[in-house]
Amino acid sequence: MNIKELYQEIILEHGKNPRNLRKTENFNKDAKGNNPLCGDNVHIFLKLDEDKKVQDVSFEGSGCAISMASASIMTDLMKGKAEVEVKEIVNDFLGMIKENPELKSKNLEEDEKTKLMCLSGVKQYPMRVKCATLSWHTLISAIDNTQEEINTEVKG
Amino acid sequence: MNIDKIKKEFPIFDEKIQNNDLVYLDSANSSQKPKVVIDRINEFYTKQFSNVGRSVHYLAVAATNLYENTRTSVQRYINAKDKNEIVFTKGATEALNLVANTLGQDYLQENDEILITELEHHSNYVPWHFLRKSKNIKINFAEVNDDGEISLEEIEKKITSKTKIISITHLSNVTGAILPVKEITELAHSKGIIVVVDGCQGAPHLRLDMQDLGCDFYAISCHKMYGPTGLGILYGKKKWLEELPPYQGGGGMINEVKKDRISYGELPNKYEAGTMATAQVIAFDQSIKFIESVGIDNIMKHEADLVEYGQDLLQKNNSVKLIGNPKNKGGVLSFTIEGIHPHDIATILDEDGVAIRAGHHCCQILHDKLNIPASARASVGIYNTKEDLDQLNSSINNCKKIFNL
Repeated sequence: MNIKELYQEIILEHGKNPRNLRKTENFNKDAKGNNPLCGDNVHIFLKLDEDKKVQDVSFEGSGCAISMASASIMTDLMKGKAEVEVKEIVNDFLGMIKENPELKSKNLEEDEKTKLMCLSGVKQYPMRVKCATLSWHTLISAIDNTQEEINTEVKG
Repeated sequence: MNIDKIKKEFPIFDEKIQNNDLVYLDSANSSQKPKVVIDRINEFYTKQFSNVGRSVHYLAVAATNLYENTRTSVQRYINAKDKNEIVFTKGATEALNLVANTLGQDYLQENDEILITELEHHSNYVPWHFLRKSKNIKINFAEVNDDGEISLEEIEKKITSKTKIISITHLSNVTGAILPVKEITELAHSKGIIVVVDGCQGAPHLRLDMQDLGCDFYAISCHKMYGPTGLGILYGKKKWLEELPPYQGGGGMINEVKKDRISYGELPNKYEAGTMATAQVIAFDQSIKFIESVGIDNIMKHEADLVEYGQDLLQKNNSVKLIGNPKNKGGVLSFTIEGIHPHDIATILDEDGVAIRAGHHCCQILHDKLNIPASARASVGIYNTKEDLDQLNSSINNCKKIFNL
């Protein structure tokens, strides 16, 4: 596989200029995650409205291009989605990164799927999968309010 | 010295790595193995295998002799006074745990202090950290200067009346700084302080002479010395190894076992409980012979030339920032590139067959001090050439291109 398939323009662009790299005001859920081997860390801030829809989601942290781009694309995509939908999309994404050839979620538009598939190149680099999945695991941790810090060494 | 000829002794360089020639710049992590070492493991299992030190049959006696031959070779190679000062362990990590554990059991008292440095690998910090809780001892850190070195003066400044042990690396696996171990030992001994040296990076790249260094303990990682994995060596002065309690209990380390009393074996058996890494020990004799055949002075000169060349290349490459600039430096080039995370660098370099390491290299304390989450590290061994460093530099340029730098 060519390295350019991993480092696609969209990933480099999101990595360089991450969207939603800030702290949501009046967030009502948050969680931290880190990838101690790489030194990636992320703090997700989530604001759910009364209907349990994502009013805003943002993140703070630092890491490699893959982890920053993944958090950027994820936060962009989740706004306006219902909590149950978010969970379903996260599972679909993690399934795709690990084994499934494509995304199956009915909660994703085609253009959203195309965007997420840009991260699929990471499959060929097992050591880098954690970089792509860190923010996704951390988002679930925020929703579930588990209060445990996500550590990719514990949770793949 | 003919490096091409030496390189040919390492079969891995005949392999294509994802269609590329291998440019292996990760020897500080683990070195590649010469054919003599690989063949020796195969030969031992094929023709000579038996457990050592127990049975009296022919194979057992022969294997025991081979095993003890390596001990004698190590003693000669590091200039230890007595072959019983050489203890085989499962790695340098276990060697350092052995020292910390046994000194913790019998020597250290509550509120005693241990002095380590900000350069230490986690395996020369975490074993001492265990004693913080169990023994209520305190750990102090000698601070690294702007060049990534630890000076004798800094060590002297951090010694207090309660310092009982100084445990330091011989050669930093991140900045490459070579510490003045001999001078630190002289200073420590004048104050009655024990000196433990983490020799993981020192042993493969520096001339070792325990009588000259004078330290009380020295830990070695065999897989970084062109030897097999699963094997380390602890050198310890005989008086300490005799005085300190055993580390692990089991077969091989005992003298007499009764329901109401147990007595322990003599050195070195006392510290070698259970079936040891027999094949690895026997094959390690070939690693020492390999190093001796090349000559450690030749190795040191070759690696110093490489580092100087690599340092020069990377310094001229704008946006590459080298970590540390020690006057006395071993074969390690750690760096960052503004705008590219070290893991992205390592993945992109890998595409060209250039194997480096990225991360904190088990030195989080140092990376915190430098205020960076991670770094990229290229490290050299006897098989590397200036062409390898040229390839490193050109792959770094490719990396910058991909990231539009």
